[in-house]
Amino acid sequence: MIATGTLEQDKAYLWSKFKDPVFDPDTGLDSETIKANVLKLAEELKHLPHPVVKARAFEYVARHVRIDVNPHDWFVAFGCYDRWNRPLDGLVAKWDREVDDTRLTTLQLMQNLKQSGACGMGKDFDHSVPDWDALFALGFPGIRQRARSYRRRRQDSGQLTPEAEAYFDGIEITYTAILDMLGRFRDHALKHADGDERVLACAACLDSLIQGPPTNTYEVLQLIYLYFMISEYVDRLQVRSLGNLDRTVYPYYRKDLQEGRYTEAQIREFFAYFMMQFASIANPWGHPFYFGGTRRDGQSEINELSYLILDEFDKLDICSPKLQLKISPNTPTEFIDKAVDIIRRGRNSMVFLCEPSIKRAMMGYGATEEEARTCDITGCYEFVPRARGNTTIVAYLNMLKPLELALYDGVDPFAGIDLGCRTGGLDAIRTFDDLHAAYLKQLGHIIESAIRCANDFEQHLNFINPTNAYSATIENSLATARDAFHDGSIYNISSILTAGFATAVDAMMAVREFVFEKQELSLQQLKDVLRDNWKGHEKLRLRMLQGRSKYGNGIDAVDFYAETLSRFLGNKINMRPNGRGGFYLASMHTPPRYYLTHGQKTGATPDGRLAGEEISRNISPTMGMDINGVTALIRSATRMDSALHPADFPLDVMLHPATVEGDEGLVAMRTLLNAYMQRHGIAIQFNVFDADTLIDAQSNPDKYRGLQVRVCGWNVHFTDLSRKEQDMFIRRAQNISG
Amino acid sequence: MPTVVPLFEAKRFAVHDGPGVRTVLFVKGCPLRCRWCHNPEGQQSQPELAYYEHKCRQCGECVAVCPQGAHAMADGRHVFNRAACIGCGACEEVCLGRALKLMGRPVTVEQARQIVLEDCEFYADGGGVTLSGGEPLLYPDFCAELFTRLKADGIHCALDTCGAVGWECFERVLPHTDMFLYDVKHADQARHCQYTGLSNRQIVENLKRLAQCGVPVEIRIPVIPGFNDDPVSVRALGLLLHGLPSIVAVRLLPYHQAHSKYEAIGCPDHMPDADTPTPARMAAIAAQLAESSGQTLR
Repeated sequence: MIATGTLEQDKAYLWSKFKDPVFDPDTGLDSETIKANVLKLAEELKHLPHPVVKARAFEYVARHVRIDVNPHDWFVAFGCYDRWNRPLDGLVAKWDREVDDTRLTTLQLMQNLKQSGACGMGKDFDHSVPDWDALFALGFPGIRQRARSYRRRRQDSGQLTPEAEAYFDGIEITYTAILDMLGRFRDHALKHADGDERVLACAACLDSLIQGPPTNTYEVLQLIYLYFMISEYVDRLQVRSLGNLDRTVYPYYRKDLQEGRYTEAQIREFFAYFMMQFASIANPWGHPFYFGGTRRDGQSEINELSYLILDEFDKLDICSPKLQLKISPNTPTEFIDKAVDIIRRGRNSMVFLCEPSIKRAMMGYGATEEEARTCDITGCYEFVPRARGNTTIVAYLNMLKPLELALYDGVDPFAGIDLGCRTGGLDAIRTFDDLHAAYLKQLGHIIESAIRCANDFEQHLNFINPTNAYSATIENSLATARDAFHDGSIYNISSILTAGFATAVDAMMAVREFVFEKQELSLQQLKDVLRDNWKGHEKLRLRMLQGRSKYGNGIDAVDFYAETLSRFLGNKINMRPNGRGGFYLASMHTPPRYYLTHGQKTGATPDGRLAGEEISRNISPTMGMDINGVTALIRSATRMDSALHPADFPLDVMLHPATVEGDEGLVAMRTLLNAYMQRHGIAIQFNVFDADTLIDAQSNPDKYRGLQVRVCGWNVHFTDLSRKEQDMFIRRAQNISG
Repeated sequence: MPTVVPLFEAKRFAVHDGPGVRTVLFVKGCPLRCRWCHNPEGQQSQPELAYYEHKCRQCGECVAVCPQGAHAMADGRHVFNRAACIGCGACEEVCLGRALKLMGRPVTVEQARQIVLEDCEFYADGGGVTLSGGEPLLYPDFCAELFTRLKADGIHCALDTCGAVGWECFERVLPHTDMFLYDVKHADQARHCQYTGLSNRQIVENLKRLAQCGVPVEIRIPVIPGFNDDPVSVRALGLLLHGLPSIVAVRLLPYHQAHSKYEAIGCPDHMPDADTPTPARMAAIAAQLAESSGQTLR
């Protein structure tokens, strides 16, 4: 019998698992052949509805993809491991093109929005959370069985339309293929175990999952991993939360300990290997799971498993999975302190989400108390009713562009594109209120245009990518026989995000101060100066850059204006019907990179920013502009009503390590969290480091391989950021003092 | 006439100057001249202009607004004549590099109160305000009045003092103060005088009286290599604190060099050329002190 390796011995295998893994060619076909054959198969089946065609393609992949069950791992290996080259990419891309070419009427408008930098847009298949409770309770065979009974019910009542039939066929084929695939893994393990205990245990685990629901901690973690891989890599729908593992896995953990099935040390090992899978996948956006929440009786969901998982995460020193902590006044201080302690040691990979504020925001769009209390945390720091909601991100607004459009009467000065809203240009602007009105009109026009485009393309989500594996887990989808990622959930939510919010506030305030109050220059002069990117006006630029009216400093007049803009966004976006039977929600979240790309498409702005420079992100200040410290920043950010942004409301806080040293440091961070929560803040993430460390890390990346930062909800190693992004962090760090 | 003090900094989210999260108000003026002082801008009570040369953009904006001609441009470089400066602060407003900062703006009790109240939501875990400096007890009426108002607002009030003031100053603030942070440097009078400019007699006497008053006192000892970190000095400090009631903790503060501040305000710099004591060294001194003082070290 071969002795089972330790985690340290197995790390080399685990780190290579999603980069350059080795598969026995006898286990299946190479990925290029599979992709080609999938397209051939789809061509042969083109007369069939998409759910069925995709399910057949899924089945083909499940049967032919290379596999491995390796002695160095507790979890199986898929031959389709490359996120950028998935077997069904070609098929989905083909249907996507077909929609673009034959069905959309707003392509040109969307192109204009994107090209001008007014608004990023796209179809989103990256934010699904399955009903983990159903998957655990039923297992893969039970999920198929439940779909069959819903189909029968529909058939018996004479409501099995051809469309419904295709929906159920898709699920039937997909889940049968999943079970067959588990059989392939099991048989391969048995055949190649060569007495290896771990491979044999894996075979037994797979066999149990073929028979029914998971029965112990190992099986349940294998199921999560399998579903994740199947949905994300085969069925081509990204899974954006592994659930709150401390709640979902807890009963299995207790039972295993009580019945002596596994020791605590073994369970720790399972979690360590489980988390290593996601560390190894290493996609920049990370794969989250979350802790905490509140039970029906008002008690915290935090339990001894929460501590165990956090411990194991801490030991691994990895960026992904990224952790989210759903906190409320009932969250044990000890647990918060443990998390905070990990963060202040430079492991800036966690985000806190304030449950009371989430509840307030969700109940504001019609969710029940229970739906709001039990919501899943997903993606970076979004939240969605558990098993009852889907969310897509359809548009990313550039909050600076409306100002440019107001100055240029609706014609974008960057790309020369006419975005079609006339506000009269400078002639119509005599007061700050005139400018404000023109700004809002341009912003409103961009939002309307984005909604038109999103309504247009979101009607076809289920045509482009029917989500068979996911839909089967969602009961409302089965009851309605509608795709759960389209219109088959109870809440079908499309969210509209923003970039440059703080920079827009700073820019508008600078115009008010320098043009309308101090009258240092006319609006025409300002427009000229901006057009020339401040050339010859460096002193003016510095004055406007250092003006006193910057967001994030707890200044009443500025915060009032920020509140006004945020309210406009909320009022304009929230609850508007979307293209798939649901509604839109506003978000203050900036997707990673958009603060750079939108910035690149935006000319110089009145806040002193140069053309092409980055813009602010989330509800955070423009880099380097928050000079009054963290308490003022929190006061400014929470002057806005977070419930107006029920799709997200995240704040980034940077702290100096000296501030958070010792017991006092723990108290300090906890105090910030509590104050943010009490003021209805929703998401908050900390980056703890000093400027000198970052500067040193920039010059000596080898010394700082482990230094993590959180960027817009993505965890990354500081040394992996571009020079420009690193500079941004350094500049902000230079503003904080010890 | 409202009571006014010169304030040189309001530090928010301070976590090491009393319990919880605090706002620390630093007032200008101090009877001591400690060689290691890391707040030299707090020594003089009159306003002083700090000039951070490395931040200067050579824009010359300050030249135009200075009523005293203290700023000039020579060969394209900014030249600052400190002797001519009256500390009016006009140049700070126009400086494009944030290179000029006026230390010591007059604030009234009510203005100080408003600064503190802005962050009241952050004081939940036992936090509040700490008056520091400089030496706040140079302004006992201001301290007493501010604390009276803030206590009515429910704010925890701490006072950080060097103790080198008349006892009547303590008596003035005692009824309104929740906690004292009391700086002790050395037990030996001569050595104290040599390094701080004053004997420690008054400081020690005040401490002994204060310890009888029932208000919690945290002792703060800067650990200065070559001055008070030898076993004899540490033991003497310990014996000085031994048996004093009301002392809730003794905190050791490791020495840090801070030459740039001296340079910025043009003040003679006598900071010892010594390294910051290592954490291990600090722990060893803490152990010695805990033994000889019988007090709780933090």
